[in-house]
Amino acid sequence: MKKIGMILTSLLLVAGLVTGCGSTAPSATPAPAPTPTPSATEQAADVKAIKDRGVLKVGVKVDVPKFGYKDPKTEKVEGFEIDLANVVAQKIGAAKVETTAVTAKTRGPLLDSGDVDLVIATFTVTEERKKSYNFSDPYFVDGVRLMVKKSAGFTSLKDLNGKKIGVAQSATSKKAIQEQADKVGAKVTFLEFATYPEIKTALDSGRVDCFSVDGSILFGYMDETTIILDDSFSPQDYGIASKMGKDGLAKLVNQTIADLKKSGELVKMQQKWGLK
Amino acid sequence: MVGPFALFKWEALFSDWVVFAEGFKTTISVTVLALTLALVLGVIFGVLGTSQWTLAKLVSRIYVEFIQNTPLVIQVFFLYHGLPHMGVMLPVFAVGVLGVGVYHGAYIAEVVRAGINSIHRGQMEAALSQGFSFWGAMRHIILPQASRVVLPPLTNQAVNLIKNTSVLAMVAGGDLMYRADSWSSDNIYYGPAYVVVGLLYLLLCLPLATLTRRLERKAGVST
Repeated sequence: MKKIGMILTSLLLVAGLVTGCGSTAPSATPAPAPTPTPSATEQAADVKAIKDRGVLKVGVKVDVPKFGYKDPKTEKVEGFEIDLANVVAQKIGAAKVETTAVTAKTRGPLLDSGDVDLVIATFTVTEERKKSYNFSDPYFVDGVRLMVKKSAGFTSLKDLNGKKIGVAQSATSKKAIQEQADKVGAKVTFLEFATYPEIKTALDSGRVDCFSVDGSILFGYMDETTIILDDSFSPQDYGIASKMGKDGLAKLVNQTIADLKKSGELVKMQQKWGLK
Repeated sequence: MVGPFALFKWEALFSDWVVFAEGFKTTISVTVLALTLALVLGVIFGVLGTSQWTLAKLVSRIYVEFIQNTPLVIQVFFLYHGLPHMGVMLPVFAVGVLGVGVYHGAYIAEVVRAGINSIHRGQMEAALSQGFSFWGAMRHIILPQASRVVLPPLTNQAVNLIKNTSVLAMVAGGDLMYRADSWSSDNIYYGPAYVVVGLLYLLLCLPLATLTRRLERKAGVST
């Protein structure tokens, strides 16, 4: 009798877990627009909600110099992507931008839960990811690069045959390197870590032979013992991500980027931070 | 609107089930080996902790206190990132077995020590008076009696050990948690990935937890 009761309890727990999680999905939908009204009115709704709140909540990186970096001296988060967030906020009419630090692993869940409206965090656009989030047109294009120890004497990807490459979780570099490695006939294995500093630590301790992410990020981790190889491949598009269903916001973001491109302002913003 | 638990994400997961099976296998092998190591260390240091030799007691104390009062993550980081700087490059699988095994060895040592202390000292004195050596008395008189008391908390430690093997995810250990992180971060289908992995851990731990309860009842520890 007792046994049956226990099995039932555990089954209930499991069922609760699954259905409980399932039910969070619909409840997470933005409250407005009870009926699927024409997109014109819906557009106003999600953008207006942010305007009324007066705060645009943006997920940004805080460990990527030049893009999103928290200066330890001033405690301020700054970079190209933060500037971009400010421009979008202006366009919406929100008085303030509130930044939230994200990592490659947390940016998806934060968008889903509604804790942030936008993610501008060196987020590479892929077809697979487009199924889950709205991505804007690219505001930056960057190639995957390879950082190695000077003492190892590697000069190209080909030399990394049989070596281990450290990449970041949620980064697209793995696929990119694999394709390139197949082309030049090098066999490589991958170890994935949660943050960039961990990969650098693994490179220093010799756990991996190469540290690979997008070039612009990699340059933030240069020191006197490392070099970045000349290889650069599979250009990665960075896009601004927003939650699916908030299509008004996505449209506005795209318009903003298009305007910045047209006026040449985007290039100026990149130059300000020494990108390109 | 696409929720974190959209159907196509579940489909993607089940078509990639091999990834998770690999991780499950690694987690189980690390668990079995680490548990063996932890039991061996636990019994040795547990017995040393109850012996009369001051030095042995001290060594056991240092081991237990040092391991129990530092986070497992730091111990594993030291094995993984620290040792290579001293010229020792352990494979990540060994880091897992050693890290988790030594960590839980300390806890098991305390469990064993408490179990031995729960046996009346008259038992040891009687055994010694009959010509048993210290280790002989331990092996034939004390430990068999202590094991009845010790078993429930021991299985509890085994459950904790299984769950703690997930620290390997932080050092690219290829275990279940690492596979879930790796798979779900490529496509950001994190919803189904973590639910399934959670259930797999439950599948490993629940039978053991049930066994603990049954043993407790048998030993008359619980009401």
